[in-house]
Amino acid sequence: MPQQEVRRYALTTLHIEHLILESFNDAAKRGVKSLQEFFTLAGKALGFIFVKPFYTADLFQQMDVIGVGSLGIVLLTGFFTGMVLALQSAVQLQALGQTALIGKLIAGSMVRELGPVLAGLMVAGRVGSGIAAQLGSMRVTEQIDALNTLGTDPIKKLVTPRVLACLIMLPLLTVINDFVGILGGSIIARFYLGLPSSMYWSSVFEQMLSGGFTLRYIPNDFVQGLTKPFVFGGIISLVACYHGLKTSGGTEGVGLATTRTVVSASILILVVDYFLTQILLALFHP
Amino acid sequence: MTDEDDRRKKQDERRHPSEKDDTAMPRRARDSGRVRQAIRTELEEVAEAGADSQAKAGVEPGRSPKRKVISLENISLAFEEPILQDVTFAAKEGETVVVVGESGTGKSTILKLVLRLLIPDNGRVAIDGEDITHLTFDDALKVRQKMGMVFQGAALFDSMTVYENVAYPLREHTLLNEDEIEARVREKLDFVDLDPERVMDQMPSELSGGMKKRVGIARGLANNPEIMLYDEPTSGLDPLTTATITYLILKLQRELGVTSVVVSHDIRSAFRMASKIALLANKRIGFFGTPEEMTGSDDPYIREFLGGF
Repeated sequence: MPQQEVRRYALTTLHIEHLILESFNDAAKRGVKSLQEFFTLAGKALGFIFVKPFYTADLFQQMDVIGVGSLGIVLLTGFFTGMVLALQSAVQLQALGQTALIGKLIAGSMVRELGPVLAGLMVAGRVGSGIAAQLGSMRVTEQIDALNTLGTDPIKKLVTPRVLACLIMLPLLTVINDFVGILGGSIIARFYLGLPSSMYWSSVFEQMLSGGFTLRYIPNDFVQGLTKPFVFGGIISLVACYHGLKTSGGTEGVGLATTRTVVSASILILVVDYFLTQILLALFHP
Repeated sequence: MTDEDDRRKKQDERRHPSEKDDTAMPRRARDSGRVRQAIRTELEEVAEAGADSQAKAGVEPGRSPKRKVISLENISLAFEEPILQDVTFAAKEGETVVVVGESGTGKSTILKLVLRLLIPDNGRVAIDGEDITHLTFDDALKVRQKMGMVFQGAALFDSMTVYENVAYPLREHTLLNEDEIEARVREKLDFVDLDPERVMDQMPSELSGGMKKRVGIARGLANNPEIMLYDEPTSGLDPLTTATITYLILKLQRELGVTSVVVSHDIRSAFRMASKIALLANKRIGFFGTPEEMTGSDDPYIREFLGGF
Protein backbone atom coordinates (compact mmCIF):
# COMPACT_ATOMS: atom_id res chain seq x y z
CA MET A 1 0.00 0.00 0.00
CA PRO A 2 1.45 3.39 -0.91
CA GLN A 3 2.48 5.47 2.10
CA GLN A 4 -0.02 8.22 1.32
CA GLU A 5 -2.95 5.78 1.36
CA VAL A 6 -1.73 4.23 4.64
CA ARG A 7 -1.65 7.69 6.15
CA ARG A 8 -5.14 8.50 4.85
CA TYR A 9 -6.47 5.19 6.20
CA ALA A 10 -4.91 5.85 9.61
CA LEU A 11 -6.37 9.36 9.71
CA THR A 12 -9.86 8.09 8.76
CA THR A 13 -9.70 5.40 11.45
CA LEU A 14 -8.59 7.99 13.98
CA HIS A 15 -11.39 10.28 12.89
CA ILE A 16 -14.02 7.53 13.28
CA GLU A 17 -12.63 6.59 16.71
CA HIS A 18 -12.74 10.24 17.71
CA LEU A 19 -16.38 10.53 16.58
CA ILE A 20 -17.39 7.38 18.49
CA LEU A 21 -15.65 8.56 21.64
CA GLU A 22 -17.24 11.97 21.30
CA SER A 23 -20.74 10.52 20.97
CA PHE A 24 -20.12 8.28 24.02
CA ASN A 25 -18.85 11.31 25.87
CA ASP A 26 -21.96 13.33 24.96
CA ALA A 27 -24.30 10.48 25.93
CA ALA A 28 -22.51 10.03 29.27
CA LYS A 29 -22.70 13.77 29.97
CA ARG A 30 -26.42 13.81 29.14
CA GLY A 31 -27.00 10.78 31.39
CA VAL A 32 -25.15 12.32 34.33
CA LYS A 33 -26.97 15.62 33.81
CA SER A 34 -30.36 13.86 33.76
CA LEU A 35 -29.49 11.94 36.94
CA GLN A 36 -28.38 15.13 38.62
CA GLU A 37 -31.62 16.88 37.61
CA PHE A 38 -33.71 13.91 38.76
CA PHE A 39 -32.09 13.74 42.19
CA THR A 40 -32.26 17.52 42.59
CA LEU A 41 -35.99 17.35 41.84
CA ALA A 42 -36.41 14.43 44.26
CA GLY A 43 -34.47 16.22 47.01
CA LYS A 44 -36.47 19.43 46.60
CA ALA A 45 -39.85 17.66 46.37
CA LEU A 46 -39.20 15.61 49.51
CA GLY A 47 -37.66 18.56 51.36
CA PHE A 48 -40.73 20.73 50.63
CA ILE A 49 -42.95 18.24 52.50
CA PHE A 50 -41.79 19.95 55.70
CA VAL A 51 -41.76 23.56 54.45
CA LYS A 52 -44.70 26.00 54.53
CA PRO A 53 -47.00 26.76 52.74
CA PHE A 54 -48.56 23.29 52.74
CA TYR A 55 -50.83 22.77 49.75
CA THR A 56 -53.20 20.49 51.65
CA ALA A 57 -56.11 20.95 49.24
CA ASP A 58 -53.85 19.84 46.37
CA LEU A 59 -52.62 16.91 48.47
CA PHE A 60 -56.15 15.66 49.19
CA GLN A 61 -57.14 16.14 45.55
CA GLN A 62 -54.15 14.08 44.42
CA MET A 63 -54.85 11.41 47.06
CA ASP A 64 -58.34 11.16 45.63
CA VAL A 65 -57.12 11.00 42.02
CA ILE A 66 -54.30 8.56 42.74
CA GLY A 67 -55.86 6.43 45.46
CA VAL A 68 -59.61 6.38 44.96
CA GLY A 69 -59.22 6.68 41.18
CA SER A 70 -56.97 3.61 41.01
CA LEU A 71 -59.13 1.47 43.28
CA GLY A 72 -61.08 -0.23 40.49
CA ILE A 73 -58.07 -1.31 38.47
CA VAL A 74 -56.25 -2.52 41.60
CA LEU A 75 -59.28 -4.52 42.81
CA LEU A 76 -59.63 -6.22 39.43
CA THR A 77 -55.96 -7.09 38.97
CA GLY A 78 -55.57 -8.26 42.57
CA PHE A 79 -58.64 -10.47 42.50
CA PHE A 80 -57.86 -12.19 39.20
CA THR A 81 -54.14 -12.55 40.00
CA GLY A 82 -55.04 -14.23 43.30
CA MET A 83 -57.42 -16.59 41.48
CA VAL A 84 -55.00 -17.51 38.69
CA LEU A 85 -52.15 -17.97 41.19
CA ALA A 86 -54.34 -20.32 43.23
CA LEU A 87 -55.40 -22.21 40.12
CA GLN A 88 -51.81 -22.78 38.94
CA SER A 89 -50.62 -23.67 42.46
CA ALA A 90 -53.55 -26.04 43.00
CA VAL A 91 -52.44 -28.22 40.10
CA GLN A 92 -48.89 -28.45 41.49
CA LEU A 93 -50.01 -28.96 45.09
CA GLN A 94 -52.54 -31.65 44.12
CA ALA A 95 -49.73 -33.61 42.48
CA LEU A 96 -47.75 -33.38 45.75
CA GLY A 97 -50.80 -34.01 47.94
CA GLN A 98 -50.22 -30.71 49.79
CA THR A 99 -53.39 -28.76 48.93
CA ALA A 100 -53.74 -27.57 52.55
CA LEU A 101 -50.71 -25.33 52.01
CA ILE A 102 -52.42 -23.24 49.33
CA GLY A 103 -53.39 -20.44 51.78
CA LYS A 104 -49.75 -20.06 52.92
CA LEU A 105 -48.53 -19.96 49.32
CA ILE A 106 -51.05 -17.40 48.14
CA ALA A 107 -50.62 -15.16 51.20
CA GLY A 108 -46.81 -15.24 50.99
CA SER A 109 -46.73 -14.52 47.27
CA MET A 110 -49.36 -11.79 47.35
CA VAL A 111 -48.19 -9.89 50.43
CA ARG A 112 -44.45 -10.06 49.82
CA GLU A 113 -44.24 -9.84 46.07
CA LEU A 114 -47.22 -9.79 43.75
CA GLY A 115 -49.35 -7.27 45.64
CA PRO A 116 -46.74 -4.49 45.75
CA VAL A 117 -45.38 -5.10 42.23
CA LEU A 118 -48.79 -5.40 40.57
CA ALA A 119 -50.19 -2.35 42.35
CA GLY A 120 -47.00 -0.48 41.43
CA LEU A 121 -47.20 -1.41 37.76
CA MET A 122 -50.92 -0.60 37.57
CA VAL A 123 -50.45 2.78 39.22
CA ALA A 124 -47.39 3.49 37.02
CA GLY A 125 -49.57 2.92 33.96
CA ARG A 126 -52.60 4.81 35.15
CA VAL A 127 -51.31 7.53 37.47
CA GLY A 128 -47.75 7.95 36.17
CA SER A 129 -48.94 8.58 32.64
CA GLY A 130 -51.62 10.95 33.92
CA ILE A 131 -49.16 13.01 35.98
CA ALA A 132 -46.65 13.20 33.09
CA ALA A 133 -49.35 14.22 30.60
CA GLN A 134 -50.80 16.86 32.94
CA LEU A 135 -47.48 18.44 33.88
CA GLY A 136 -46.27 18.12 30.27
CA SER A 137 -49.35 19.98 29.01
CA MET A 138 -48.85 22.62 31.68
CA ARG A 139 -45.25 23.02 30.52
CA VAL A 140 -46.08 23.41 26.82
CA THR A 141 -48.97 25.82 27.49
CA GLU A 142 -46.66 27.95 29.69
CA GLN A 143 -48.68 27.25 32.86
CA ILE A 144 -45.48 26.20 34.67
CA ASP A 145 -43.86 29.51 33.65
CA ALA A 146 -47.04 31.26 34.82
CA LEU A 147 -46.66 29.64 38.26
CA ASN A 148 -43.06 30.83 38.40
CA THR A 149 -44.00 34.36 37.45
CA LEU A 150 -46.78 34.39 40.04
CA GLY A 151 -44.12 33.72 42.66
CA THR A 152 -44.92 30.03 43.23
CA ASP A 153 -42.34 27.27 43.12
CA PRO A 154 -43.81 24.69 40.69
CA ILE A 155 -42.01 21.86 42.49
CA LYS A 156 -43.66 22.78 45.77
CA LYS A 157 -47.09 23.35 44.24
CA LEU A 158 -47.20 20.49 41.75
CA VAL A 159 -44.57 17.87 42.55
CA THR A 160 -44.63 17.65 46.36
CA PRO A 161 -48.40 16.96 46.67
CA ARG A 162 -48.20 14.28 43.97
CA VAL A 163 -45.18 12.58 45.53
CA LEU A 164 -46.70 12.67 49.01
CA ALA A 165 -50.04 11.39 47.72
CA CYS A 166 -48.29 8.47 45.98
CA LEU A 167 -46.23 7.69 49.10
CA ILE A 168 -49.42 7.51 51.17
CA MET A 169 -51.82 5.90 48.72
CA LEU A 170 -49.71 3.19 47.09
CA PRO A 171 -49.19 1.24 50.36
CA LEU A 172 -52.94 1.51 51.04
CA LEU A 173 -53.76 0.29 47.54
CA THR A 174 -51.30 -2.57 48.03
CA VAL A 175 -53.04 -3.67 51.25
CA ILE A 176 -56.36 -3.76 49.33
CA ASN A 177 -54.68 -5.55 46.43
CA ASP A 178 -53.23 -8.16 48.82
CA PHE A 179 -56.58 -8.73 50.49
CA VAL A 180 -58.62 -9.18 47.30
CA GLY A 181 -55.84 -11.42 45.89
CA ILE A 182 -56.05 -13.70 48.92
CA LEU A 183 -59.85 -13.54 48.67
CA GLY A 184 -59.65 -14.63 45.02
CA GLY A 185 -57.42 -17.52 46.10
CA SER A 186 -59.97 -18.57 48.72
CA ILE A 187 -62.66 -18.91 46.03
CA ILE A 188 -60.47 -21.31 44.03
CA ALA A 189 -59.46 -23.19 47.21
CA ARG A 190 -63.13 -23.60 48.19
CA PHE A 191 -64.68 -24.42 44.81
CA TYR A 192 -61.79 -25.99 42.84
CA LEU A 193 -59.94 -27.83 45.60
CA GLY A 194 -62.93 -28.23 47.92
CA LEU A 195 -60.85 -26.92 50.85
CA PRO A 196 -62.92 -25.59 53.79
CA SER A 197 -62.66 -21.79 54.08
CA SER A 198 -61.62 -21.95 57.72
CA MET A 199 -58.64 -24.12 56.80
CA TYR A 200 -57.64 -21.74 53.98
CA TRP A 201 -57.80 -18.61 56.19
CA SER A 202 -56.01 -20.22 59.12
CA SER A 203 -53.26 -21.22 56.72
CA VAL A 204 -53.12 -17.58 55.52
CA PHE A 205 -52.76 -16.24 59.08
CA GLU A 206 -50.18 -18.90 59.89
CA GLN A 207 -48.07 -17.61 57.01
CA MET A 208 -48.46 -14.00 58.15
CA LEU A 209 -47.30 -14.79 61.67
CA SER A 210 -44.58 -17.28 60.80
CA GLY A 211 -42.04 -14.75 59.53
CA GLY A 212 -41.40 -13.09 62.90
CA PHE A 213 -42.25 -9.59 64.09
CA THR A 214 -40.85 -6.08 63.92
CA LEU A 215 -41.31 -3.98 67.09
CA ARG A 216 -42.89 -7.06 68.73
CA TYR A 217 -46.31 -6.69 67.05
CA ILE A 218 -45.87 -5.97 63.33
CA PRO A 219 -45.44 -9.14 61.22
CA ASN A 220 -42.27 -9.00 59.12
CA ASP A 221 -44.25 -9.94 56.02
CA PHE A 222 -46.28 -6.74 56.46
CA VAL A 223 -43.13 -4.66 56.83
CA GLN A 224 -41.72 -6.16 53.63
CA GLY A 225 -45.03 -5.84 51.84
CA LEU A 226 -45.43 -2.17 52.77
CA THR A 227 -41.82 -1.02 52.31
CA LYS A 228 -41.93 -1.93 48.64
CA PRO A 229 -45.04 0.09 47.64
CA PHE A 230 -43.71 3.04 49.61
CA VAL A 231 -40.53 3.01 47.49
CA PHE A 232 -42.50 2.31 44.30
CA GLY A 233 -44.81 5.25 45.06
CA GLY A 234 -41.79 7.53 45.22
CA ILE A 235 -40.37 6.11 41.98
CA ILE A 236 -43.63 6.49 40.03
CA SER A 237 -44.41 10.03 41.14
CA LEU A 238 -40.87 11.36 40.81
CA VAL A 239 -40.27 9.77 37.40
CA ALA A 240 -43.63 11.09 36.14
CA CYS A 241 -43.05 14.60 37.49
CA TYR A 242 -39.49 14.65 36.12
CA HIS A 243 -40.56 13.70 32.60
CA GLY A 244 -43.62 15.96 32.78
CA LEU A 245 -41.65 19.04 33.81
CA LYS A 246 -38.94 18.31 31.22
CA THR A 247 -41.47 18.18 28.37
CA SER A 248 -40.69 20.18 25.27
CA GLY A 249 -41.88 20.15 21.68
CA GLY A 250 -45.63 20.65 21.99
CA THR A 251 -48.20 17.87 22.02
CA GLU A 252 -45.72 15.40 20.54
CA GLY A 253 -43.46 16.07 23.51
CA VAL A 254 -46.36 15.37 25.89
CA GLY A 255 -46.89 11.96 24.28
CA LEU A 256 -43.19 11.22 24.48
CA ALA A 257 -43.04 12.20 28.16
CA THR A 258 -46.00 9.93 28.93
CA THR A 259 -44.44 6.95 27.16
CA ARG A 260 -41.06 7.52 28.80
CA THR A 261 -42.71 7.71 32.20
CA VAL A 262 -44.59 4.43 31.90
CA VAL A 263 -41.59 2.58 30.43
CA SER A 264 -38.96 3.88 32.84
CA ALA A 265 -41.18 3.67 35.94
CA SER A 266 -42.18 0.06 35.11
CA ILE A 267 -38.59 -1.02 34.50
CA LEU A 268 -37.39 0.77 37.63
CA ILE A 269 -40.11 -0.93 39.71
CA LEU A 270 -39.01 -4.39 38.53
CA VAL A 271 -35.28 -3.69 38.95
CA VAL A 272 -35.62 -1.96 42.32
CA ASP A 273 -37.94 -4.76 43.46
CA TYR A 274 -35.14 -7.30 43.00
CA PHE A 275 -32.58 -5.33 45.01
CA LEU A 276 -35.14 -4.36 47.64
CA THR A 277 -36.09 -8.04 48.06
CA GLN A 278 -32.41 -8.93 48.55
CA ILE A 279 -32.07 -6.26 51.23
CA LEU A 280 -35.34 -7.15 52.99
CA LEU A 281 -34.57 -10.87 52.97
CA ALA A 282 -31.13 -10.17 54.41
CA LEU A 283 -32.75 -8.04 57.12
CA PHE A 284 -35.68 -10.27 58.04
CA HIS A 285 -34.45 -13.76 57.10
CA PRO A 286 -30.71 -13.66 57.77
CA MET B 1 -82.05 34.25 -11.56
CA THR B 2 -84.37 36.64 -13.45
CA ASP B 3 -83.16 39.74 -15.35
CA GLU B 4 -84.86 41.94 -12.75
CA ASP B 5 -82.93 40.29 -9.90
CA ASP B 6 -79.67 40.60 -11.80
CA ARG B 7 -80.21 44.30 -12.47
CA ARG B 8 -81.05 44.97 -8.82
CA LYS B 9 -77.91 43.17 -7.66
CA LYS B 10 -75.65 45.17 -10.03
CA GLN B 11 -77.28 48.43 -8.90
CA ASP B 12 -76.68 47.51 -5.28
CA GLU B 13 -73.02 46.72 -5.95
CA ARG B 14 -72.46 50.12 -7.61
CA ARG B 15 -73.92 51.95 -4.63
CA HIS B 16 -71.49 53.46 -2.04
CA PRO B 17 -71.43 51.49 1.23
CA SER B 18 -72.80 54.45 3.16
CA GLU B 19 -75.84 54.56 0.88
CA LYS B 20 -76.68 50.94 1.50
CA ASP B 21 -79.65 50.08 3.65
CA ASP B 22 -78.25 49.80 7.20
CA THR B 23 -81.04 47.54 8.30
CA ALA B 24 -79.99 44.99 5.70
CA MET B 25 -76.76 44.37 7.67
CA PRO B 26 -76.80 41.52 10.14
CA ARG B 27 -77.31 42.79 13.67
CA ARG B 28 -74.00 41.35 14.89
CA ALA B 29 -72.11 43.25 12.16
CA ARG B 30 -73.83 46.52 13.05
CA ASP B 31 -73.02 45.98 16.76
CA SER B 32 -69.39 45.21 16.11
CA GLY B 33 -69.19 48.29 13.86
CA ARG B 34 -70.40 50.46 16.71
CA VAL B 35 -68.00 48.78 19.16
CA ARG B 36 -65.13 49.26 16.71
CA GLN B 37 -65.93 52.95 16.38
CA ALA B 38 -66.17 53.34 20.17
CA ILE B 39 -62.80 51.64 20.64
CA ARG B 40 -61.21 53.75 17.92
CA THR B 41 -62.44 56.95 19.63
CA GLU B 42 -61.29 55.70 23.01
CA LEU B 43 -57.86 54.76 21.62
CA GLU B 44 -57.43 58.22 20.10
CA GLU B 45 -58.41 59.88 23.38
CA VAL B 46 -56.07 57.65 25.35
CA ALA B 47 -53.22 58.26 22.92
CA GLU B 48 -53.75 62.03 23.11
CA ALA B 49 -53.91 61.92 26.92
CA GLY B 50 -50.77 59.80 27.04
CA ALA B 51 -48.90 62.08 24.67
CA ASP B 52 -49.92 65.14 26.70
CA SER B 53 -48.83 63.62 30.00
CA GLN B 54 -45.53 62.45 28.53
CA ALA B 55 -44.86 65.84 26.98
CA LYS B 56 -45.66 67.53 30.28
CA ALA B 57 -43.37 65.13 32.16
CA GLY B 58 -40.56 65.97 29.77
CA VAL B 59 -40.76 69.77 29.98
CA GLU B 60 -41.91 70.51 33.51
CA PRO B 61 -39.09 72.51 35.13
CA GLY B 62 -37.72 71.18 38.42
CA ARG B 63 -39.39 67.80 38.02
CA SER B 64 -37.01 64.93 38.83
CA PRO B 65 -36.25 62.64 35.89
CA LYS B 66 -38.16 59.34 35.91
CA ARG B 67 -36.32 56.45 37.54
CA LYS B 68 -35.43 53.36 35.59
CA VAL B 69 -37.75 50.56 36.69
CA ILE B 70 -36.43 47.86 34.35
CA SER B 71 -32.97 48.00 32.87
CA LEU B 72 -31.02 45.54 30.81
CA GLU B 73 -27.33 46.33 30.52
CA ASN B 74 -25.04 44.66 27.99
CA ILE B 75 -26.95 41.39 28.11
CA SER B 76 -25.54 38.42 26.23
CA LEU B 77 -27.13 34.99 26.19
CA ALA B 78 -26.42 31.83 24.22
CA PHE B 79 -27.81 28.30 24.29
CA GLU B 80 -26.57 26.16 21.42
CA GLU B 81 -25.86 29.40 19.55
CA PRO B 82 -25.97 33.10 20.50
CA ILE B 83 -29.49 34.46 21.14
CA LEU B 84 -28.78 37.95 22.43
CA GLN B 85 -25.60 40.01 22.20
CA ASP B 86 -24.87 43.21 24.11
CA VAL B 87 -28.56 44.09 24.54
CA THR B 88 -29.11 47.33 26.45
CA PHE B 89 -32.31 49.27 27.06
CA ALA B 90 -34.39 50.53 29.94
CA ALA B 91 -38.02 51.18 30.78
CA LYS B 92 -38.60 54.21 32.97
CA GLU B 93 -41.46 54.59 35.44
CA GLY B 94 -44.83 54.58 33.68
CA GLU B 95 -43.35 53.89 30.26
CA THR B 96 -44.44 51.17 27.86
CA VAL B 97 -41.49 49.75 25.96
CA VAL B 98 -42.49 47.59 23.02
CA VAL B 99 -39.87 45.12 21.80
CA VAL B 100 -40.41 44.38 18.12
CA GLY B 101 -38.48 42.23 15.70
CA GLU B 102 -38.75 39.32 13.35
CA SER B 103 -39.93 35.94 14.64
CA GLY B 104 -37.26 33.88 16.39
CA THR B 105 -35.01 36.82 17.24
CA GLY B 106 -35.23 36.27 21.00
CA LYS B 107 -37.93 38.79 21.89
CA SER B 108 -39.65 36.51 24.42
CA THR B 109 -36.25 35.64 25.88
CA ILE B 110 -35.99 39.25 27.02
CA LEU B 111 -39.14 38.81 29.13
CA LYS B 112 -37.75 35.60 30.65
CA LEU B 113 -34.58 37.52 31.58
CA VAL B 114 -36.62 40.28 33.23
CA LEU B 115 -38.56 37.62 35.16
CA ARG B 116 -35.26 35.90 35.97
CA LEU B 117 -36.53 32.67 34.52
CA LEU B 118 -33.25 32.83 32.58
CA ILE B 119 -29.88 34.12 33.72
CA PRO B 120 -27.74 35.99 31.17
CA ASP B 121 -24.23 34.81 30.36
CA ASN B 122 -23.01 38.41 30.58
CA GLY B 123 -24.47 41.73 31.66
CA ARG B 124 -27.02 42.58 34.31
CA VAL B 125 -30.79 42.91 34.63
CA ALA B 126 -31.95 45.39 37.27
CA ILE B 127 -35.45 45.91 38.67
CA ASP B 128 -35.90 49.17 40.58
CA GLY B 129 -32.12 49.48 40.57
CA GLU B 130 -31.62 46.07 42.21
CA ASP B 131 -29.48 43.61 40.25
CA ILE B 132 -31.56 40.43 39.98
CA THR B 133 -29.03 38.47 37.95
CA HIS B 134 -27.49 36.63 40.88
CA LEU B 135 -30.50 36.31 43.16
CA THR B 136 -31.31 32.94 44.71
CA PHE B 137 -34.41 31.13 43.44
CA ASP B 138 -36.42 32.16 46.54
CA ASP B 139 -35.39 35.81 46.27
CA ALA B 140 -36.27 35.74 42.56
CA LEU B 141 -39.78 34.53 43.48
CA LYS B 142 -40.15 37.62 45.72
CA VAL B 143 -39.00 39.99 42.96
CA ARG B 144 -41.50 38.39 40.58
CA GLN B 145 -44.30 39.43 42.92
CA LYS B 146 -43.68 43.01 41.72
CA MET B 147 -44.50 41.89 38.18
CA GLY B 148 -47.54 40.72 36.30
CA MET B 149 -47.10 38.67 33.17
CA VAL B 150 -49.50 38.08 30.31
CA PHE B 151 -48.52 35.06 28.22
CA GLN B 152 -48.98 34.58 24.51
CA GLY B 153 -51.54 31.81 25.06
CA ALA B 154 -52.78 33.42 28.32
CA ALA B 155 -51.47 30.36 30.27
CA LEU B 156 -54.54 30.24 32.50
CA PHE B 157 -54.58 27.28 34.88
CA ASP B 158 -57.03 25.03 33.08
CA SER B 159 -58.01 23.09 36.21
CA MET B 160 -59.27 26.29 37.85
CA THR B 161 -62.22 28.61 37.14
CA VAL B 162 -61.70 32.19 36.01
CA TYR B 163 -62.32 33.33 39.60
CA GLU B 164 -59.70 30.92 40.98
CA ASN B 165 -57.22 31.98 38.32
CA VAL B 166 -57.50 35.69 39.14
CA ALA B 167 -57.60 34.97 42.88
CA TYR B 168 -54.51 32.73 42.71
CA PRO B 169 -51.80 35.38 43.31
CA LEU B 170 -53.92 36.89 46.10
CA ARG B 171 -54.25 33.56 47.90
CA GLU B 172 -50.53 32.90 47.45
CA HIS B 173 -49.07 36.20 48.56
CA THR B 174 -51.60 38.17 50.57
CA LEU B 175 -53.51 37.70 53.80
CA LEU B 176 -56.78 38.97 52.32
CA ASN B 177 -59.94 37.23 53.50
CA GLU B 178 -62.35 35.61 51.05
CA ASP B 179 -64.63 38.69 50.80
CA GLU B 180 -61.67 40.94 50.04
CA ILE B 181 -60.36 38.48 47.47
CA GLU B 182 -63.75 38.35 45.76
CA ALA B 183 -63.97 42.14 45.70
CA ARG B 184 -60.48 42.37 44.15
CA VAL B 185 -61.29 39.70 41.55
CA ARG B 186 -64.48 41.54 40.54
CA GLU B 187 -62.58 44.85 40.36
CA LYS B 188 -59.91 43.38 38.07
CA LEU B 189 -62.41 41.60 35.83
CA ASP B 190 -64.34 44.87 35.57
CA PHE B 191 -61.13 46.67 34.67
CA VAL B 192 -60.57 44.37 31.71
CA ASP B 193 -64.20 44.87 30.61
CA LEU B 194 -65.41 41.40 31.53
CA ASP B 195 -68.69 40.86 33.33
CA PRO B 196 -67.69 39.15 36.61
CA GLU B 197 -71.13 37.56 37.04
CA ARG B 198 -70.88 35.93 33.64
CA VAL B 199 -67.28 34.72 33.58
CA MET B 200 -66.25 34.06 37.18
CA ASP B 201 -67.46 30.49 37.26
CA GLN B 202 -66.41 29.60 33.73
CA MET B 203 -63.47 27.33 33.00
CA PRO B 204 -60.71 28.69 30.70
CA SER B 205 -61.68 26.15 28.03
CA GLU B 206 -65.09 27.87 27.75
CA LEU B 207 -63.57 31.27 26.91
CA SER B 208 -62.68 32.80 23.54
CA GLY B 209 -59.07 33.76 22.75
CA GLY B 210 -59.67 37.44 23.51
CA MET B 211 -61.46 36.68 26.78
CA LYS B 212 -58.59 34.41 27.85
CA LYS B 213 -56.13 37.23 27.20
CA ARG B 214 -58.25 39.60 29.25
CA VAL B 215 -58.50 37.14 32.15
CA GLY B 216 -54.70 36.75 31.83
CA ILE B 217 -54.34 40.54 32.19
CA ALA B 218 -56.73 40.52 35.17
CA ARG B 219 -54.67 37.77 36.83
CA GLY B 220 -51.45 39.67 36.14
CA LEU B 221 -53.00 42.78 37.69
CA ALA B 222 -54.50 41.07 40.74
CA ASN B 223 -51.55 41.87 43.00
CA ASN B 224 -51.39 45.50 41.79
CA PRO B 225 -47.90 45.04 40.32
CA GLU B 226 -45.75 48.01 39.37
CA ILE B 227 -44.50 46.19 36.26
CA MET B 228 -46.51 44.41 33.56
CA LEU B 229 -44.95 42.17 30.94
CA TYR B 230 -46.80 41.05 27.83
CA ASP B 231 -45.73 38.32 25.43
CA GLU B 232 -47.40 38.83 22.05
CA PRO B 233 -50.64 40.13 23.61
CA THR B 234 -52.38 40.58 20.27
CA SER B 235 -51.16 37.56 18.32
CA GLY B 236 -53.84 35.31 16.88
CA LEU B 237 -56.63 37.79 17.64
CA ASP B 238 -59.06 39.42 15.24
CA PRO B 239 -58.65 43.19 14.60
CA LEU B 240 -61.49 44.13 16.95
CA THR B 241 -60.10 42.10 19.88
CA THR B 242 -56.59 43.35 19.07
CA ALA B 243 -57.87 46.91 19.44
CA THR B 244 -59.52 46.01 22.76
CA ILE B 245 -56.32 44.51 24.18
CA THR B 246 -54.27 47.49 22.94
CA TYR B 247 -56.78 49.78 24.60
CA LEU B 248 -56.45 47.84 27.87
CA ILE B 249 -52.66 48.15 27.85
CA LEU B 250 -52.95 51.89 27.25
CA LYS B 251 -55.58 52.14 29.98
CA LEU B 252 -53.19 50.43 32.42
CA GLN B 253 -50.45 52.89 31.57
CA ARG B 254 -52.75 55.90 31.85
CA GLU B 255 -54.82 54.98 34.90
CA LEU B 256 -52.39 52.96 36.99
CA GLY B 257 -49.02 54.28 35.78
CA VAL B 258 -47.77 50.73 35.31
CA THR B 259 -44.37 50.27 33.67
CA SER B 260 -44.69 47.75 30.86
CA VAL B 261 -42.58 45.76 28.47
CA VAL B 262 -44.53 44.38 25.54
CA VAL B 263 -43.11 41.86 23.11
CA SER B 264 -44.96 42.04 19.82
CA HIS B 265 -44.65 41.62 16.11
CA ASP B 266 -47.82 43.64 15.53
CA ILE B 267 -46.26 46.95 14.47
CA ARG B 268 -49.60 48.78 14.26
CA SER B 269 -50.49 47.99 17.91
CA ALA B 270 -46.88 48.66 18.92
CA PHE B 271 -47.07 52.21 17.60
CA ARG B 272 -50.35 52.79 19.39
CA MET B 273 -49.19 51.68 22.81
CA ALA B 274 -45.44 52.38 22.90
CA SER B 275 -43.65 55.14 24.77
CA LYS B 276 -40.46 53.66 23.35
CA ILE B 277 -39.81 50.97 20.77
CA ALA B 278 -36.86 48.57 20.90
CA LEU B 279 -36.14 46.85 17.60
CA LEU B 280 -34.33 43.56 18.01
CA ALA B 281 -32.35 42.66 14.92
CA ASN B 282 -29.44 40.32 14.45
CA LYS B 283 -29.32 39.50 18.19
CA ARG B 284 -28.84 43.18 19.10
CA ILE B 285 -31.01 46.22 19.74
CA GLY B 286 -30.93 47.87 16.34
CA PHE B 287 -33.05 50.82 17.40
CA PHE B 288 -34.35 52.21 20.69
CA GLY B 289 -36.44 55.35 20.71
CA THR B 290 -39.89 56.83 20.41
CA PRO B 291 -42.27 55.72 17.65
CA GLU B 292 -41.83 59.15 16.01
CA GLU B 293 -38.05 58.71 15.96
CA MET B 294 -38.52 55.29 14.45
CA THR B 295 -40.74 56.47 11.62
CA GLY B 296 -38.29 59.31 10.95
CA SER B 297 -35.32 56.96 10.74
CA ASP B 298 -33.43 56.59 7.45
CA ASP B 299 -31.96 53.20 8.42
CA PRO B 300 -32.71 50.83 5.52
CA TYR B 301 -33.49 47.87 7.84
CA ILE B 302 -35.96 49.96 9.88
CA ARG B 303 -37.58 51.24 6.71
CA GLU B 304 -37.87 47.69 5.41
CA PHE B 305 -39.18 46.42 8.76
CA LEU B 306 -41.83 49.11 8.93
CA GLY B 307 -42.81 48.32 5.36
CA GLY B 308 -45.84 50.25 4.32
CA PHE B 309 -46.72 51.36 7.85
